[in-house]
Amino acid sequence: MIEFILNGKTVSTDDDPSTPLLWVVRDTFKLKGSKFGCGAGLCGACTMHIDDEAMRTCILPISAVAGRQVTTIEGLGTLDDMHPLQTAWVDASVPQCGYCQSGQIMAAASLLKHNPNPTEADVDAAMSGNICRCGCYVRIKGTILSVAQQNLAYNAAQEQKA
Amino acid sequence: MSAINMSRRQFLKTTGILGGGLVIGFSMTGCSSSELPITLVQQGFVPNAFLQITPDNGIRFYCPRDEMGQGVTTGLSTLIGEELDVHPKDMEILFAGVHSDYNNPDFGVQGTGGSSSLKAHYLQLRQVGANTRGLLVAAAAQDLGVAASAISTRDGHIVVAGKQYPYGQFVQTAASLEAPTEAPLKSNAEFRYIGQAFARVDAAAKSTGTAEFGIDIDIPNMHHAVVRRSPVAGAKLKSVDKSVALNMPGVTDVIEISSGVAVVAEKYWQAKTAAAKLSPVWDEVALSKVNSSDVRADYNQAMQQDEGVVDTDEGDVKAGLAAADHIVEAEYWAPFLAHAPLEPMNAVVRIENGEADVWSGTQGIVAAQGLVSRFSGIPVEKVRAHNTYLGGAFGRRGTLTHVIEATEVAVASNKPIHLLWSREDDIQNGVYRPASLMKIKAGAKNDGSITAWQAKRVGGNITPKTLQNMMPALFPGLNDGTIDFMVGLSRDVFAGWMVDHASVEGLYEDYDTDNKTVNHVTVEHDIPLTFWRSVGHSYTSFAKEGITDELAEKAGMDPVAFRLKNTQGNPRLNNVIRVAQQHMLAMQPAEGRFLGFAAHNSFATDVAEIAEVSVIGKTIRVHKVTCIVDCGIAVNPDIVRAQMEGAVMFGLTAALYGNLELVQGAFKQSNFHDYPILKMSEAPLVEVVIIDSGTAPTGVGEPGLPPIAPAVASAVYQATGQRLRSLPLKIA
Ligand code: FES
Ligand code: FES
Repeated sequence: MIEFILNGKTVSTDDDPSTPLLWVVRDTFKLKGSKFGCGAGLCGACTMHIDDEAMRTCILPISAVAGRQVTTIEGLGTLDDMHPLQTAWVDASVPQCGYCQSGQIMAAASLLKHNPNPTEADVDAAMSGNICRCGCYVRIKGTILSVAQQNLAYNAAQEQKA
Repeated sequence: MSAINMSRRQFLKTTGILGGGLVIGFSMTGCSSSELPITLVQQGFVPNAFLQITPDNGIRFYCPRDEMGQGVTTGLSTLIGEELDVHPKDMEILFAGVHSDYNNPDFGVQGTGGSSSLKAHYLQLRQVGANTRGLLVAAAAQDLGVAASAISTRDGHIVVAGKQYPYGQFVQTAASLEAPTEAPLKSNAEFRYIGQAFARVDAAAKSTGTAEFGIDIDIPNMHHAVVRRSPVAGAKLKSVDKSVALNMPGVTDVIEISSGVAVVAEKYWQAKTAAAKLSPVWDEVALSKVNSSDVRADYNQAMQQDEGVVDTDEGDVKAGLAAADHIVEAEYWAPFLAHAPLEPMNAVVRIENGEADVWSGTQGIVAAQGLVSRFSGIPVEKVRAHNTYLGGAFGRRGTLTHVIEATEVAVASNKPIHLLWSREDDIQNGVYRPASLMKIKAGAKNDGSITAWQAKRVGGNITPKTLQNMMPALFPGLNDGTIDFMVGLSRDVFAGWMVDHASVEGLYEDYDTDNKTVNHVTVEHDIPLTFWRSVGHSYTSFAKEGITDELAEKAGMDPVAFRLKNTQGNPRLNNVIRVAQQHMLAMQPAEGRFLGFAAHNSFATDVAEIAEVSVIGKTIRVHKVTCIVDCGIAVNPDIVRAQMEGAVMFGLTAALYGNLELVQGAFKQSNFHDYPILKMSEAPLVEVVIIDSGTAPTGVGEPGLPPIAPAVASAVYQATGQRLRSLPLKIA
């Protein structure tokens, strides 16, 4: 029996400890937003946050997340209450087929959390493990950079107020 | 091998078979009077197959085409919404079930592909929208006691003297009236939604993980299946010791099926782990001995020794070459490629009480229905087929082996089955873009006018395999023998009698000259082939544009000016090239960067691309691509831009990396480490310039792809002096 915290709620499973987190989240806990693209850590479609760190969960056994915080795209934001990246994604019509986008957004959210003011090279470095077969890269990159700018502007305004 | 008298058109008419893009022009079911696959909500009113309007003014649009990322839900809802006066964002958009009313007007079958959707439905869906609006206006006139002429409509509302009434208020009356059949359409100047770059209707679902793909379907008691298949296409299972898998946790069944052996378990990971334990033994087939070098050698031999079949013979090429001041001749190569959509193939099939359900993201849901019927013995009327979002397709989701497999497993195991392919399965057991060896000999005068164009292509054809895949799906009642006969017939026809046009499209059409020949030699090695984004154009553009650059250089002309000179008979392409030239002249590439140019017409759309490239050591880096496109009216310009951006990236993956190698009949590559996809850090900036020529829309999903490889190759030549004539591009 392995216990971990999934989008804020403690859950437990008797799935085999070697089962990759992706399949436990999808098949046991029925959260289907995280995707399977390669099963080998090569595409990023399965990206979730483990204690705020973006990780490839198709190769991450659940034994490794016991007791840890797991956040999926469902935990990042919802249709009614979107994360700023998700709102920006919609405004820029970033997705094409959409299949990679949960992973892209999770990777981007982790990047901005750790580096609120990334350069283009920072974005490239953080996002290059996330494949988009439809080729939405121009928009993904532009949207991450513009959300970072908005955040900075917002924070600056808050500081000035304070 | 001799040319034939029967014209291509006549042949197509007689057989109903159509090479290139998609297939088959006859009605499959004849069921236009059958019940629509629409679930009524409240007292919903269904005026036609595409709409349901509820009393609370809910407006549902049943999208007849499949959403694989190309934005078709936004595009088609814009067409119907324009005339209905309902903004797409105010509609609930559902994927249509199976019914002949949802046929693609261009194909006569319920299929999505060939960059056809907006073009094919442009007038049809607008007319449906206009007729429905006319009906609602008539109902409102009756209910409100005013003249129809006093009524206007706006955003889902009837407007009378400044007062607004929701459409839903009139559906009961509307249901008792006859809808007009030819309500007038808006003029282009009256468009409110067509031509506007509003956000995609599916962006929110796709940004929150709530868009449902086939892989996400989850139904009660669903079991998971994983299949082991032969690494060599067509090789059958000889033997397997099932017990090693049967003893694994969660495993309920191990079943031999047509494509191999399937392991069924309660959870996917259990099925996957158990399937990996199996050591199936496969038959040997002819392909089992074939390596990439054999394929290439066979193609080379055919190129040298076999005249092949004549596709096109216009004017007098010999005389044209004799009249030329400059002649070039070269061979170009393009390899086998996989589509690798990011969502691997999958299907869910449930068979219960003599009825069946199938869920799968397909490029033709009617085919999923047909396959389930055929392989379960349940009549088509009792098979409900549910489409989902497609996690990419690019031509791959027209072949539905996974639906056959899921059906076979569901029947044998007596359980609802979720069957999922791995990435390795996708790369190694798929259907492929054919490899091609192309040779062009062309001549030009000193003034740059082309005098002769002699082209030849060696490779496999996609149409026989496409028929082999589609006929069982579209004719569930037809027996295997008949299908084998027809597939064999098409294979023989295309090998020795006439040319599968998809094999040579794009090799010769764009440039002016009266003297053209195109010959084709079919050489196949039993590798399953199908259409792949932009089909024949994906490789012919590379040869056609490459040789054009070579000829321009030989004639001492600027390559862009040379193309302008030779597109007098092709005014729309000429204009696209002219606009591109202006952009190119204004560019000032930084030190060490070089510009390459290419243009190509495909799917009735004209595209020119300028690639800004640097070469450092052996690394080709594409920094920026400027894409000029004329696709008629851009129904949603932002989606046109997105499709050009996407096609550039897709084409760059092929130009820089895409290569499948055959070892003993099996493809060596298996996942993204050895079949790499362009990454963000390698992605160029893409600037898209849309020329709105105001005519009816033409395709956008594919035409952005063909120019990119030759444009990059052209820039590489500027940078290094190396003419790269093989894909993927490799600096020597
Ligand atoms: S599915 Fe996990 S990295 Fe591709
Ligand atoms: S949107 Fe299709 S893979 Fe990224």
